Amino acid sequence: MTGTIRSTGRTRRDRHNRWAIPLLVVGGVLAAGCRSNESLSNAGIDRKPPVTTQPAATVPTPPPTSAAPPVTLAPGETLPPGETLPPATTAPQTTPTTATTMPPPTTVPTLLDALPKCDTTALDASSGTVDITFWHALSNVNGDTLQKLTDQYNASQTKVHVNLEFQGGYDENIDKYLQSDTGNRPDMVQMPEYMVQQMVDTKSLVPTQACAESAGTDLSQFLPSALEAYATQGVQWSMPFNVSVPVLFFLKPTFVRAGLDPDNPPQTLDDLLAASKQIVSSGAATYSVALDSDFDGGGGWYVEQWLAKGGNFYADNENGRAAPATRVLYDEAPGVGLLTYLKQLVDEGGAVYVGDNASGTDTLLKLADATAPAAMAVSTSASLGPVFAALGGGLIPGITADDVGVGFMPGPNGGLGALVGGASLYIVDKGNDAKAAAAWDFITYLDSAQSQSQFTADTGYIPLRQDALDLDPIKSKYASDARYKVAYDQLLGSADAPTSLGPVIGPLEQVRKVTAAAVADVLTGGDPQTALSKAAQAADDLIANYALANGG
Amino acid sequence: MATSSAGRAAIDQIHGARRVGRYALLTVTAVIVLFPIYVMVVGAFKPGDKLFDNLLLPNHFTFDTLKDAWHDGHLGRALVNSAVVSVVITLAQLITSVLAAYAFVFLKFPGRTVVFVIFIATLLVPLEATLTVNRRTMQSLGWINSYRGLTVPFLATAFGIFMIRQVFLTIPKEMREAASMDGLGHIGFLREVAVPLSRPTIGALGLFAFLTSWNQYLWPVLITTDQDYNTVQTGLKALKQASLDQPNLVIAGTVIVALPIFVMLISFQRQLVRGLTAGAVKG
Amino acid sequence: MSKSKVSARRRWRESGLALAMLAPSGVILGMFVIYPLVKAIFLGRQRCGVTSCRTTSWHQYVDAFRSNEFQDALIVTLKYALITVPIGLVLGVGLAVLADKYIKGVGIFRTIFSSTVATSVAVASVMWFFLLNPNIGVVADWLGGVAKTPGLLQSPDTALWAVSASSIWANLGFTFIVVTAGLQSVPKDLYESAYVDGANGFTRFTNVTLPMISPVLLFVTVVLTARAFEGFGEIDLLTSGGPKAKTTTLTYLAYGKGLPTSGDDGLRATVTVLLFFVLLILALFQFRGLEKRVHYGN
Repeated sequence: MTGTIRSTGRTRRDRHNRWAIPLLVVGGVLAAGCRSNESLSNAGIDRKPPVTTQPAATVPTPPPTSAAPPVTLAPGETLPPGETLPPATTAPQTTPTTATTMPPPTTVPTLLDALPKCDTTALDASSGTVDITFWHALSNVNGDTLQKLTDQYNASQTKVHVNLEFQGGYDENIDKYLQSDTGNRPDMVQMPEYMVQQMVDTKSLVPTQACAESAGTDLSQFLPSALEAYATQGVQWSMPFNVSVPVLFFLKPTFVRAGLDPDNPPQTLDDLLAASKQIVSSGAATYSVALDSDFDGGGGWYVEQWLAKGGNFYADNENGRAAPATRVLYDEAPGVGLLTYLKQLVDEGGAVYVGDNASGTDTLLKLADATAPAAMAVSTSASLGPVFAALGGGLIPGITADDVGVGFMPGPNGGLGALVGGASLYIVDKGNDAKAAAAWDFITYLDSAQSQSQFTADTGYIPLRQDALDLDPIKSKYASDARYKVAYDQLLGSADAPTSLGPVIGPLEQVRKVTAAAVADVLTGGDPQTALSKAAQAADDLIANYALANGG
Repeated sequence: MATSSAGRAAIDQIHGARRVGRYALLTVTAVIVLFPIYVMVVGAFKPGDKLFDNLLLPNHFTFDTLKDAWHDGHLGRALVNSAVVSVVITLAQLITSVLAAYAFVFLKFPGRTVVFVIFIATLLVPLEATLTVNRRTMQSLGWINSYRGLTVPFLATAFGIFMIRQVFLTIPKEMREAASMDGLGHIGFLREVAVPLSRPTIGALGLFAFLTSWNQYLWPVLITTDQDYNTVQTGLKALKQASLDQPNLVIAGTVIVALPIFVMLISFQRQLVRGLTAGAVKG
Repeated sequence: MSKSKVSARRRWRESGLALAMLAPSGVILGMFVIYPLVKAIFLGRQRCGVTSCRTTSWHQYVDAFRSNEFQDALIVTLKYALITVPIGLVLGVGLAVLADKYIKGVGIFRTIFSSTVATSVAVASVMWFFLLNPNIGVVADWLGGVAKTPGLLQSPDTALWAVSASSIWANLGFTFIVVTAGLQSVPKDLYESAYVDGANGFTRFTNVTLPMISPVLLFVTVVLTARAFEGFGEIDLLTSGGPKAKTTTLTYLAYGKGLPTSGDDGLRATVTVLLFFVLLILALFQFRGLEKRVHYGN
């Protein structure tokens, strides 16, 4: 029975359908007309909007500081866009100060007293082996090296046995840790540099300072920047482990073709602009610099780097380290100057914008572009190994690994100084002294000179202590290929000032994302002040909402 | 009313120029569809540093990349995990769906329609809406890092119930009456008549269930903290975290992960199509 | 024994059996679908920090719905569905019709067209990620222009289309298989009689084929739409929601990186519950609007 081709009996259905169209229209109108222009981050929050940002031209008041001012700019003074500074002449501080350079808390009573204690004698006192779990996010070569070190540690003694648990990536590790309750947490966890404030707010930690003091550990060899990056409000919360900083990658043959010195890459932003113009006008490459707006790169993290290099604060309350930050400062003159410069680099300097860099490798791959390559790109020092390996395999025809040059990431008045990237190690408070002591023992092993030498030689990370450089294998590696040492020298040269430590903000990743949107805007033709003011407003909202949600 | 695919109606034959044209069109579209897979397979067999040498031609050949991907991604263990999880979920979904569908079709009880609507309404709830709470439940049960955590939330599905119900509805009432006259109770009828008659659809549902659970992405990521419990999809994602010098490993991993399903697809293609004819086509 | 007593007794006996048969599915669905949804509705009026949650108000739902990010994501999601579903349907039907003739070797083509069903979201996205990369992918070199600078996945104007292409490709196998099954169930004599009536190929298609496979088309449309609305993996792997949030769908808004929902279970619940209601309304419209076109004949 085939019946009719078209369906029959539509009358009853039609009656039901009659309200479908008008409902659709009404719904569409409602949905369209009811945009509130508020951010999702403010949903449900009843809060007076914070005071709007200052007008562009004001110079921010110099923050109180006891440390020496950086190279040529006093803190708070800004670099007017377009003007050049006298070339940086000061040598980097090569002798690091001792570890006790934490800004002494002036009015706040010692926070450390209120936090969980650490008793490193508990380890010796315990009988049998103490088992601890360590959640980390290092994969491939990095993960393998960590595994090797862990195996060595486990084999070398019987007091502590470490169980390594790889969580996938930083994001997964963070998610899992934050969503676990005390019973499910590990004894030790690795968290990326932007998680400091959130980790503090979990109230789940034994601050490593407590253990360091209990054991009397000597931290004098540690690079102050690396150590202090993880200290806030007068407490050292975690210990650095894998340290990276951004560096400048460039193709030496292109420099030579453009008439530039391949052994002297540009270090100031002005030099960078000049070199860029020269590269493009000489036809040595299609583009000079590959810029991105990744929130872990050109759009977020590098903004923090550039502000720090120029001796400027990113957020108030000394970048959130003297007291929790309440707002960002990058919509003021230094930040606007920076983005104006980037815009100029694109408009006049032949820089190319490669997008959001979701893969993390677009800027570097632009150097490998066969038809329209760039000559320079900023990327993390952790990419050194992979870049050399890829080029060694012929990624760019005619270019070998030796043709890649590495230099300091250029800054407003020189390339020295950098904010540490990477991650640090936290001890989780499980109410068990032996486990905390065991974790501290393992941390000191991972941060020992020999371990650091081994770890950094196999991966692309930087030694976080000076005496590691005297030991093989990193000693030979640096001796044989000086390019690997550039990142270390850059970090070592960080000025001894509060502006040299990055911002500690609870929702830092989200703030970076709104900042990245502003950078993306500017790199595609937008106005710096407008973009930054908008981003600052959103960032301030995020900070305020975070404080509200976390008992602030 | 399915037409036997063996019958060749005159209308289905084409000859001559039209035939050539048809072949041409088929080939062109097949090339386009197959292209990404082809590039991946070619890349999987290339050594790491020669990956970008020529993306199209297999001018280098090695098994090393596949071996490394297997090792680095712990794909062996991941395959075992995925297999166990998928088989358990598939069997469970088949059993629960058949039972529930039988109840909705052959048993009379008060509120049957209402209950059915509630069951079907769960189809509308997106997985994402349930993830966070489910994760907390898993935590309180202690099922993080376990096969139980990976499988239990998916042991039943409204989609399966719907599909089996559709095919059970096509079983004529007379058969039920005949069976009860033969002394078969419900369980007997289910076992001897209903299930055998619906085998193609049950097979299709099984295939879909296996496929869906094999391809699950978000849930396994949330529920495992121990790498040993990675499924192939999370193992692939972990492999993708690989940096610039390892894209060939990711590609090789992709090929390894897709292979079992591809083999299954070729083996069971006919059953799949037949099952869908019975299940999805009957509006 | 009176008839009503017999059937009443049978009804209760059957209820017992029914309960037993429904219990497994019911418990699972109840515990892992319905309960979380209800809990999420209440969670959606809280804002959560690192350690605790505060209850705000039901107004949070309204705020979230009206917020910029949500409205933008809603538009992106609708666009994504409007691109992937019709194109996916047309291509799937086209391929199925193409492969519907009995010529030698058509089985191989059928297998090829079905093969994408073997690729999961992760696999397909990784494949397309490499293909579309402006520096090392082949597509960029062939197409030039935007595909090269800054790249199809990197340009705000083309990113959503590029992600859609990956998704359409991945779903092609599924659509092809289902539509082929539908085509094979169309009685041949319908075609014969249409042919005898003088209808040409095109008319046969519109007057015979389409109506007869309309239930299948409805099924495919529903599944493809659901997949479009719940798409997360492809966006996570291809664009991370960018550029300029042009590929941030509602699901990505709830679970993506660096968004206001990060680390805030309450806000996540708000967005996903709103997504549920959007899907609910959509399902109603789909069935009302499309079902009248479906021919249930036999």
